[in-house]
Amino acid sequence: MSGLRALAKASAGAFLLLLGVSTAALAQPTDTAVKAAFLPRFARYVTWPSAAMPKGGDPFLLCVVGADPFGTMLDDAARSQLIDGRRIIVRRMDSAASADGCQIAFVDGSKAAQALSSLASKPVLTVTDAASDGARGIIHFTLSDGRVRFFIDQALAARRGMTISSRLLALALGVRQ
Amino acid sequence: MTARQRWIGWRSAPFAIFGIAVLILLGGIAVIVQNEWTYSRARVEQTQGLSDVLAASAAAAVDFNDLVAAQQAVDAFKVNNQLRLIGVYGRDGKAVAGYDRSGSPVAATIGSMLPAPDNVIRVHSPITQAGQHIGTVYIEMDREAPSRRMARYLLLVGLFVLAALVVASIGIAQLQLRRANRELESRAEALGQANVLLEEQMEERARAEDQLRQSQKMQALGQLTGGIAHDFNNLLTVIQGSADMLCRPDLAEPKRIRFAQAIVQAAANAAALTSQLLAFARRQPLKPVQIDVNALIAEMRDLIDRTVGERIEVLTELHPIECRVQADRAQLQSAILNITSNARDAMPGGGRLVMRTRAFRAGHDATMIAIEFVDTGSGMDPETMDRIFEPFFTTKATGKGTGLGLSQVYGFASQSGGDVRVESELGKGTSLTLVLPCVEADGLAVHIAPVHEVSQQQSAAILVVEDNEEVGAFAETLLSELGHRVTRANCGEQALSLSRKRKFDIVLSDVVMPGMGGLKLAQVLAEEQPDLPVVLATGYSQEIAETGSGGRPVILKPYRLGTLAEALANAMQSSPRSPEETS
Repeated sequence: MSGLRALAKASAGAFLLLLGVSTAALAQPTDTAVKAAFLPRFARYVTWPSAAMPKGGDPFLLCVVGADPFGTMLDDAARSQLIDGRRIIVRRMDSAASADGCQIAFVDGSKAAQALSSLASKPVLTVTDAASDGARGIIHFTLSDGRVRFFIDQALAARRGMTISSRLLALALGVRQ
Repeated sequence: MTARQRWIGWRSAPFAIFGIAVLILLGGIAVIVQNEWTYSRARVEQTQGLSDVLAASAAAAVDFNDLVAAQQAVDAFKVNNQLRLIGVYGRDGKAVAGYDRSGSPVAATIGSMLPAPDNVIRVHSPITQAGQHIGTVYIEMDREAPSRRMARYLLLVGLFVLAALVVASIGIAQLQLRRANRELESRAEALGQANVLLEEQMEERARAEDQLRQSQKMQALGQLTGGIAHDFNNLLTVIQGSADMLCRPDLAEPKRIRFAQAIVQAAANAAALTSQLLAFARRQPLKPVQIDVNALIAEMRDLIDRTVGERIEVLTELHPIECRVQADRAQLQSAILNITSNARDAMPGGGRLVMRTRAFRAGHDATMIAIEFVDTGSGMDPETMDRIFEPFFTTKATGKGTGLGLSQVYGFASQSGGDVRVESELGKGTSLTLVLPCVEADGLAVHIAPVHEVSQQQSAAILVVEDNEEVGAFAETLLSELGHRVTRANCGEQALSLSRKRKFDIVLSDVVMPGMGGLKLAQVLAEEQPDLPVVLATGYSQEIAETGSGGRPVILKPYRLGTLAEALANAMQSSPRSPEETS
C-alpha cells in the first residue's frame, strides 16, 4: 500500500521533472524523498579510515539493509552525486552480513537492531530512521517542525574510526559527543 | 665654477624649482593612485574572503537544502554594514538564502540578478564539498564612498599641495629676486655712468675754475703793475726833472732849494706808496704798541676835520673802553685817514660822518674793539663792494686816488689780527667797521718819544754793511756829511772780519744780503762785542716781519737823513760805549 503510494508520488515527481517545472515551487517533496536525497550526500561530509575506502576508482557503496522505503528515488539521488570523483552505487540486501564493503548503510525494518549490532565494530556510517522506531545508528533521521532533520552520534563514529565534518554537525538537530 | 656657469645655474634655478613642484604634485598623485589601487584590491580580496567563508559555512546547508541553516549562515554576516547584498544559490541556480540591505528580496535565480552598480564590489564563490559543485555565493560590498576616500586622502593631498606651493613660492620669490637683481644691476650701471659723467664735469669745472683764477690773477697783476708803473712814473718825472734842473751850473739858490724839496717830496710820496703796497701785502714791518683808540681819535679830531672839510659834519661817539688795541700806531692813523678820505669823497655835496667806538666780546675770552665809520654818502652797488679792497681799484677820477687806501686798511687789519666789515646801499650811505683785537692795558703809558735834535758834533767810527753799491755809497756820503768816519763792507762775513781788526763805535747793517744776513751778523757781534750797538736798515725783511729784530733798532728804507742821524744817535746814547770826540 505504502509502496504503491510512494511509487505514485515518485511517478508524479518524475513527470513534473520532465515538464521542466520546479518541484520546489509547485509541490513539497515527501519526507521519504528528502531522506533519499540526503543519504548519498552524507558521504561528502564523512572521512573513513583508508582501509574502509573503496579500492582504486571503485564507487562508494550505499547499502539499504532490510526494508527499502525509497525505491528508485534513492537511485536517482545517488546518480547525481559524485564524492571526490567517485560515483555512488546503491545496493539492497536483507542482512548486514554482506554489508562489510558498504560505506553507508541505511538500516530499517524489523531486523534493524540486529543488523546494527553486527555492524557495530565496522567503519560503516549507519543511518536509521525514527519513523521505524528502532535502534539508532550514527545518523538518525527524525521529523522536526515538519522538516526532515537528523541526530548525529559523533562518539560512535569516532569509535569506528570515522570523522564527521563540522559542517554536517552544524546541521544536526543534536550531536552526541 | 666660472661666473658664466654660476650665472646659468642661478638663472635656471626657478625653472628647476617649478619642475620640482610639478614632480611633487605628480608624485603625490602617483602615491594616491597607487594607494587607491592597493586599497581597492585589498577590498576586493576582503570581500572575496567573506564570500569564501560563507561558501564554506553554508555548504552543508545548501547541500541538504536546509534553508534555515543557510539563512543563519547568511545572517551571521549582516553585522558588516558595508555588505550590500548576499545571495546563496544552489546547484540549480535557485536562491537558497539571501540578504539585501535595502530590505527587498534577493534575486530568485542567478540569471535574474541585476548587474552590480559602479560603486559596488560583487564577488562570488562556488560552494563545493568533496570536489562537487553544490552552489554559489554572491556578495556585494560597498566600495568606499568617494567622499570618504577623498577625506582619507585629503590630508595627503593637502600636504602635497602645500609642499608644491612652498616650492612654487620659493620659485616665484627667486624669480622676483632675479628681476629685482637685474633692475638693480642696470641701475647701478646707470649710476656708475652718471658718476663717471659727474667726475668728468667736476674735472672740467675745476679746470675752468683754475683758468678763471689764473686769468683773475693775471688781471690783478696787470692792474697792480699798471698802477705802480703809473704812480711811480709820475713821481719819477718830478724827480728826474728836478735833478736835471739841479745839474744846471748857474742855478739860483732859491730855485736849487725848491727843486731839491720837490725831489724830497716825490721820494716821500713814493715811500708812502711802497709802504701802502707792503701794508696791503701784509708785509709791512709793524711796530705794535698798545693804543687807546678813543684817545687816538680825539688826538686826530683836528686832522680829520681838516681832511673832510667844512661841508661835512663829523660826530664822534666814543664809548669807554677798558682795553687797548695792540697795533702799529702809524698804520692805524693811516687807516683812519684813508677811511675818512673815502667818506669825504662819497659826500661831495656835504653830509655827516659818525665815528663810533665800542668794545664787544667775540667768542670765549677775546675782546674786540670796533671803530665804526658811518657816512651819508652815495653808497656802493654790490659789484663795487666786492672789489673795494683790491689794490689800485678806484672809483675816483684818474689822478684823484691811488686805489690803495682801502687795500692798506684791509692789509693792516688782517695783519693786526682784525677785520674790516662794510655795509652799503646805493644812495643810502656806507658803514665801514674796523675791528681790532683788544688786550688788557698793562698800565704803561705809551708815549711818543720826543724827537731829539741830534747834536752833530759827535763823530763816530761807523761800519756800514750794504751789498748794494749805490745804497752803500749813498749812506757813506750821508754819514760823512754828518762828520762820521765810515768804513764799508759789502757782506756780513767781511763786516765780521773788519770788526775784529778795528774798533767801531756803531754798525749800520742791511738785513737782506747774500751769505750772512744782517740779523745773523748782529747776533754774532752781540756775542763777540756785546757793547757794540747795531742798527738794522731794511726795505722789507721777511725775517724781521716774522720774528722781529731782537730789540735792535730798525730803520726803514727809504730813509732820510734826519731819520738815519736820529737812529744812530739814539743807538749810541743807549750804548755804554761812548764815541770819541773828533772835532
